[in-house]
Amino acid sequence: MFLDLIERFTMKCAAQFDRGSATGAAAPADLGPALDLLWTRFLPEIRQRVDLLEAAALDCASNRLSSAQYEAARAAAHKLAGSLGTFGLARGTALAREFELAFSNEGTPSSALAQRLTSIAAELRTIVDSHK
Amino acid sequence: MPRKILIIDDEDDIREVAALSLESVAGWDVITANSGAQGLARAVEHRPDAILLDVMMPGMDGPTTFRELRKNPATAKIPVLLLTAKVQSSDQRRFADLGVESVLFKPFDPMTLADQISGVLGWN
Repeated sequence: MFLDLIERFTMKCAAQFDRGSATGAAAPADLGPALDLLWTRFLPEIRQRVDLLEAAALDCASNRLSSAQYEAARAAAHKLAGSLGTFGLARGTALAREFELAFSNEGTPSSALAQRLTSIAAELRTIVDSHK
Repeated sequence: MPRKILIIDDEDDIREVAALSLESVAGWDVITANSGAQGLARAVEHRPDAILLDVMMPGMDGPTTFRELRKNPATAKIPVLLLTAKVQSSDQRRFADLGVESVLFKPFDPMTLADQISGVLGWN
């Protein structure tokens, strides 16, 4: 339910990508090529964040998650939630946000939740690796 | 004269996409800072027309940076818009209560970010 709300919010953002500007610029710029360059430049950093989520999800499932790892994964999820949608990856933002929220609650995540986190991290990996 | 805007964000990718967006789509002059402390110095140095300020930053966070901007007569009247990836309503209320012009959300659309800012600040 909450994930649906997040996804609708981010889809709304993404749906505006093709609209023109009303700021007075002579013509809307085509940001596509420049955004592609930035994506390529920041991809290693984005992949590192996904690495953190994958490792945290695995260690969470086996009850080996340290508090430092917990905090690092939460921060990485927060950053991914903020940036993936900006590159047009609304689904990535929704998944990262779900991960962040799971790690924002008190207590150790249940085994069912740990499985879900593993699945989120895997889908994020696919989304990031398949984006050109 | 093009508008001058200062972006303060510790995340390189967000900072660069926002700068690209505001320069390319709106034709504004963009100054960037990667921390609250650097942002305070650049605000004094450049006197921007507005500041786009990230909430979650290591060291001096967005709300603290905002309060410091308001304390300094040189920057006290510069409109500040917070930029956050927090979507929980309690966070949103807390940010709005700070006294900023507006709270914008990540992810943002690079094609319409300038419109959002212009709309809030009455620059249209």
